[in-house]
Parts: sequence; structure tokens; C-alpha cells
Amino acid sequence: MSDDLAWLTATQAGRAFAARKLSPTELVRALLARIGKLDPQLNAFIRVDAEGALAAAATAEAEIAAGRHRGPLHGVPVGIKDIIDVVGLPTTCHSRVMPNTPAAADAVVVGKLRQAGAVIMGKLSTHEFAIGGPSFDLPWPPARNPWNREHHPGGSSSGSGVGLGAGFFPLALGTDTGGSVRNPASACGIVGLKPTYGLVSRRGVFPLAFSLDHVGPMTRDVADNALLLDAIAGHDPHDPGSAPAPRQHFAAGLERGVRGLRIGFVRHFHERDIPADPEVAAGLEQVARTLAGEGATLSDIVLPNLNEFAAVNRVILNAEAWTIHAPWLRARPGDYGMLARRRLMPGAFLTAGDLLAAQRRRTEMIAAVDAALEEVDVLLCASSMDPPSRIEDAEETARTYPRQARAPFNTTGHPALAMQAGLSRAGLPLSVQFVARHFADATLFQVARAWERASGVDRLNPALG
Amino acid sequence: MDTPLIEALARQAGLERALAEFPDCVMAAAKQAIGRSSEINTPTSPAVEPWPPMKVGGGA
Repeated sequence: MSDDLAWLTATQAGRAFAARKLSPTELVRALLARIGKLDPQLNAFIRVDAEGALAAAATAEAEIAAGRHRGPLHGVPVGIKDIIDVVGLPTTCHSRVMPNTPAAADAVVVGKLRQAGAVIMGKLSTHEFAIGGPSFDLPWPPARNPWNREHHPGGSSSGSGVGLGAGFFPLALGTDTGGSVRNPASACGIVGLKPTYGLVSRRGVFPLAFSLDHVGPMTRDVADNALLLDAIAGHDPHDPGSAPAPRQHFAAGLERGVRGLRIGFVRHFHERDIPADPEVAAGLEQVARTLAGEGATLSDIVLPNLNEFAAVNRVILNAEAWTIHAPWLRARPGDYGMLARRRLMPGAFLTAGDLLAAQRRRTEMIAAVDAALEEVDVLLCASSMDPPSRIEDAEETARTYPRQARAPFNTTGHPALAMQAGLSRAGLPLSVQFVARHFADATLFQVARAWERASGVDRLNPALG
Repeated sequence: MDTPLIEALARQAGLERALAEFPDCVMAAAKQAIGRSSEINTPTSPAVEPWPPMKVGGGA
């Protein structure tokens, strides 16, 4: 296949379908061939659903030909993290703990994608139960970074990041409890959004921590991310965390630019709290200078210490995850991989006082971020403090994995988007994160698009054999 | 690390099997949890309630 098809964005593919210059079946066939050739080295997929994808592409093609166009995602391929239910396919959670039985129904987000006419390509690799990875003791190998397969692609939505970075599909769904959409977005040089808590339904998604879990769109560019959020957002009365927020059109204001916007740079996260790698810090400065050059007003903003944010996130995550996994950890601990076992058991050793202290501090942290976002429109801060680690160096991965600034916004529920901030000297993606007020996800797209347009980071793709 | 205490807590949590088969994992998990709340500045004002706040439905 030509590289042109591998790197088509959803927006470009949708336009080509509408103009009858390309058919969904042609695109899906080309991408399946690419997956067959390259995925054995990258492990993005747990399961490729070639049959289902080709059938859905044929249906989309017939509908478009008959003039029944469903919208911008009609016929566009999408990958689904394998903790999200897709009817007829097992939800493995990348774990031998889960039964090998097909899901009885689509998750709400998958149902919305089908309604939009998207083509589901298959189920994607994750850290075990969205927490234990990268692991080499599971039934499926860990996904590898498309920029350099010796490096970790981030997690836990690893396959989603890898598949986008490798040109396997233009759209993917991930989930984010302590940063799991934004970490692979950072490591694979793509765009990942953790939406406002409650904006996207979690029904049909295997939970990690109820009050921190989010489903998020992952794409190769900002416009596609907004389109994907348009498709999956919306109130779900059967999801207890779902917010009855007014319907928005997230792709509407993309090209407004940042002139007149106030951006608060949270420097202490990467300068003092968890000092970043110099290349990461330089990348953040470059983003700040560029946005100032585009007309934004930059100022420094102070939030609670990043390490304390992490502690609050971890106590809540550990407690909530333990209540989900305790029966299996008691009965069959050997069915978990080592990392998941170690990361899911801490909740057994927390006290009620620990949890309540974290939950009460969370209230104050939400207020602190809300107050900061009264002074400015958007926050700019680090995502990862280091370039991606070497995947087989367990010590390096364990050292760098917690060195991140994503967990604060799971704790507070604010929307947060991570994307590429250029490449390191070694050719690995660097990253930046933007954060906005609750339900101001569209403002994130506006700022992210301004950086993307000025820097051209969306035009950087890895060289793959 | 107080090994006997951790073992007692693990048993109380029903983790006897994990303790027998994966004692290193149990110890590593306990190490992550114990003392973590000391990293949190617990609010001093009694007015600060936990998040999420208790909410009831709209009534009949």
C-alpha cells in the first residue's frame, strides 16, 4: 500500500469517501495488509477483526453510494482498547483472569461509533486491567513503540497509541485513570484527550477506579480528536458518573487560534516537584514561546505539589481497584501477571482514614485547579518527564513511569490533552499537556490546534519497514 | 517493614493464597500502601468534605 493511505486522517478519509475518490473497503483492505505486515513486530492488537471490519466497510460503502451519509466518521477505521466491550468479541483486559467469552453488548461508546458508521478494526493491547504493564508474563506480548520498537509506547492504552503511530487506523479509543490515554499519546507522538469527567459514558468498560476512570479519544491530529469526541460524548443516565452536560460541537472552534487567550504555565511541576529531562523541559519552553508568538498571554501558575497530587490519586485508585479485584486476588492470584498483582493489592493495606484523607484533599485540589483556571483560560504543563523508556529495562521503566503530570487531572476531573512537542535527539517523541476548565474541552482543541499548526508536529511520522 | 504485621493484614484481607504463593508481591503491595497517606496534607478544616459529595435523588 502507499504510505498515503496509512497516514490518512479521519477527516481526509471521510472527504475522500464523500468525493468517491476512495472507498471504505479499499482503505480497510490496505490497513489490514499493513497490520499483517508490521504488527508482528509492534503487538498493537490483541485481536484483529478482519471479517467484521470488511463487512462494516462494505455496509458503509453501500450506504455512502446510496446517498445515506452518516457523517464524518462514516466508513472510517477505529481501534478499541481491549477493556472496552465490543459485541461478539471477548474483552480480555490483556489478562488470563478474564473469561474467553464474547461480550454480549457494545459499550456505549462503541455503540455510538457504530451509529456514526465507523469501522471497528479489532481489540487493542493494554497494560493488564489498565494497570499492570509493560509485562512479559501475560498471554499476549506488550505493545512496542513505533518510533523505536526497543522503547515502551506508554500505557495503559498502549495498542491505541502504537496503532495510531504505526498507521494502522486513524482513530482509537483509550481509557485514562492516572494518565493512560495521555501517556501513550506522549510516547507515540499522537494526540490523546482525557475529557472532562462525566462527559463520555463508561458503561461497558471494565473499571479500574470508578471515580477516576475516563474514556478518551486518541488520534494522529487535533481535528480528528475533536471529531471523535463529538461522536462519543453525551449523557448516559445509566452511568452513575455521567454528567448531564449540554451538547457541544467540539470541532467547531478549532481554527480560532490563541490570540487573547491566557495560558498559565505550571513550571513547578517539571522544574521543582519532579525535575524533567532537559530535552523535555526544552520542548515545553518551545511550546510556550510558540503560543506566545501566536498571540497568547503566558504567565506562571502554581498548583499543589505534583507529588501530593500523585499520592491522592494513588490512594483513591488503589482503594477503588481493590474493591473490584479482591475476589480474584484472593482466589487466583497466580492468574495475574506480576505487575498487576503488585499494583492491585495495595488497596488491601489502606485504612478508611487513608481513603478519607485522600478524598477530602481531593476536594481542595479540585478547588485549587478551578481557582487557577479563573486566572487563566488554559494550563500548559508537562505530561511525561522523560522520553519513552527502553521496554525491556524494567528498572528504567519503573523509575520513569511515575514521573508524570497526568494524574492530577484524573483527581480533579478537568479535561487534559497530551500531544507531541517535537522529537528528542534520539528521535523519540517529547510531549506537552494542556488543561482546561470542566466542560471546556473545546478550548483545549483550540490551543492544541494552534500549537500543531505552528509546529507541524502532526506531519511527523515514524519510518517503519 | 514490619513483616508479621503485613502478614497479619494480608490474612485479614483474605490474601492467604497470595501470601503463600507470591510473598514478594504482597510485601511490595503493602510497601506501596503503608504510609502513603503521610504524603497527603490532610485538610485541617472540618468543613472540608470528601469528594464526591453525597447526593440523593430528586425524590418521588
